[in-house]
Amino acid sequence: MVQASSVEIRGVNKFYGPFQALKDIDMSIAPGKVTCLIGPSGSGKSTLLRCINFLEEYDSGEVRIDGQLIGYEAPGRKMSARKLRAMRRSIGMVFQQFNLWPHMTAIQNVTEGLVRVRGMKKPEAEARAAEALNKVGLGDKMGNHPSRLSGGQQQRVAIARAIAMEPRLMLFDEPTSALDPELVGEVLTVMKTLAAEGMTMVVVTHEMGFAAHVADQVAFMEKGELVGMDIPDRILHQPEDPRIQGFLRSYHERNSF
Amino acid sequence: MEWQILEQYGPMLLRGFGLTIMCWLLGTVFSMALGLLIALAQRHGPTPLRWLLQAYIEVIRGTPFLVQLFVLYYGGPLVGLRLDAVPAGLLGLTIYGSPYFAEIFRSGFRAVPIGQIEAARAIGMPEHVIIRRVLLPVALVSALPALVNFSIILTKETVILSIITVPELMYQVQRMSTETFRYLEANLVLALFFWLLVETISRFGRKLETRITHYLIERP
Amino acid sequence: MFSIPTFLDSFGPLFWAARYTLLVSGLGIALGLVIGALICAARLSGVAFLRTFAALWVSFLRGVPLLVQLLLVYFLLPVIGIDVPALVAAVVTVGICASAYISEIWRGAIGALPRGQTEAARAIGMGPGDVWTRIVLPQAVTMSLPALINELILLVKASSLVSVVGIMEITRASQAQAATTFRPMEVYLAAACIYLMINLCLAALGRYLEHRMAV
Repeated sequence: MVQASSVEIRGVNKFYGPFQALKDIDMSIAPGKVTCLIGPSGSGKSTLLRCINFLEEYDSGEVRIDGQLIGYEAPGRKMSARKLRAMRRSIGMVFQQFNLWPHMTAIQNVTEGLVRVRGMKKPEAEARAAEALNKVGLGDKMGNHPSRLSGGQQQRVAIARAIAMEPRLMLFDEPTSALDPELVGEVLTVMKTLAAEGMTMVVVTHEMGFAAHVADQVAFMEKGELVGMDIPDRILHQPEDPRIQGFLRSYHERNSF
Repeated sequence: MEWQILEQYGPMLLRGFGLTIMCWLLGTVFSMALGLLIALAQRHGPTPLRWLLQAYIEVIRGTPFLVQLFVLYYGGPLVGLRLDAVPAGLLGLTIYGSPYFAEIFRSGFRAVPIGQIEAARAIGMPEHVIIRRVLLPVALVSALPALVNFSIILTKETVILSIITVPELMYQVQRMSTETFRYLEANLVLALFFWLLVETISRFGRKLETRITHYLIERP
Repeated sequence: MFSIPTFLDSFGPLFWAARYTLLVSGLGIALGLVIGALICAARLSGVAFLRTFAALWVSFLRGVPLLVQLLLVYFLLPVIGIDVPALVAAVVTVGICASAYISEIWRGAIGALPRGQTEAARAIGMGPGDVWTRIVLPQAVTMSLPALINELILLVKASSLVSVVGIMEITRASQAQAATTFRPMEVYLAAACIYLMINLCLAALGRYLEHRMAV
């Protein structure tokens, strides 16, 4: 079992010029729980996710990891880069576009952070990286460059790169949206394993099946607002809010034939 | 040309050729390094510095190399910069080439997908490590053809150094032609020589390009 | 000490000399456009000999420094019995040199046109002549305008080299001025300023054209 973090989001606002991308978001995520963020594109769910590791700087409110405020020392006073880096070390992130480093092999992608950030010796880092790659089922592709891997394989390397750092919290930003349909399953399987091990996970996704079966809670966002958050069944099967009903209706229309 | 002339002037021409190659190599290395520094400072430096560097880029790119050399070599002593022809020429090449290299690196940086930088930030990598391990290698791949291309342009610019009396190949050939009155032949041979040199370097450069790209992107 | 009066005084004569800079680079680019078009046509033609000739033309002129080309023409003309003023020789050399670069600019612009466009034109029954004059060339010429302005900027700078064969353009004039005033720093900086002014204007024109094309 991994040691898992909690996330507390309180009154977070984010502006791009006059446009308000996040409106007063509150959210609690208990250690070891899986939270899926769903909603139409442009609803702010990715922005919210990126606020959790401060890749996106929120303008007001608080995001706390295990009780510690991220990005700011106090309201309005930014945290030092060094301290922010230290906090990010325990937060893994997986991106829609994988974002593997193209000039490194699969295993080099994984060892890079271990050596440069965690300060591990190379042999130790390589053993750890091999373990992580085995875990995502890519033990035989360690020497491949990303250009020689399928999208699903690249995304699994990206997950290995994140979990090798031994995070206590994992953020997934639409991890399967850039994949061909037949490659989605392999990535979701790896994510399910992680969830079963008790990792705290926040997942922005369009995979309603994953949300229904794996998530402990589902949050629906629209136009920068958190419209509703509850156990999957109540959001996905008996939504009360008409905005959620409308979203799910059009989702089902698109996905039936 | 008669063999006698070649025999007489051969060593001089060889020395000139050596100096041409040296000026080219050192000038390329120095101006590329300075260009990289400028591009990095423009990416990470404070705003006033960025403006200053942009002004530098515009001024150097907007003026002829020859005039820059004159300012440096003949104007330099006014501000206490007394340089011999060769160091002045090298400094001139470095200054002249740096903004072009800076622009090449800058567009190379732009070609690095932001997500690859964010992925490094997300695992807590310090900015200077990100530059060295992610930004530079990825940017270099996309910038390589332009880098090779501009290095080739610099070979041709070295002949201008002859005007401030740097005794490189062009200078030696002109000296030979005035002493032997073989102006046309000398310049014809010089032209053919440069043609060959530039073609060889570009062929070599293209090979190097595929090699490095291959090395950085994938090892089969 | 840097003498500001000398610096300012240098501008008058140098501005006057700038007409030769503009003449050489302006006529140079005009000539380059004409020869460049022919070379580009030869390069794209079906005749193997023409293609090879054009490829050699481009490769030679891009491989040999302009300074060497200038001296070559300067010494070649009397030998083959052509007696023209140095200015004409300089313009012709600059133009020929530019033609190599311009032909490549045009070749690039034509190559950048989506294949579908010519296919669409042929599909509605246009002949090859119409396809070229109505579809390909208008677009290629427009697309290449910023690159051509850039080439002109290069020529303005390159024209400083014709000082070597005695044309009294900005650089040569500044050399003469420096020799009489013994103030090379001030004079050459003034020359640099004039080049910069010309090129900044041209660059602004290039950006304007690019902007208008983008809209």
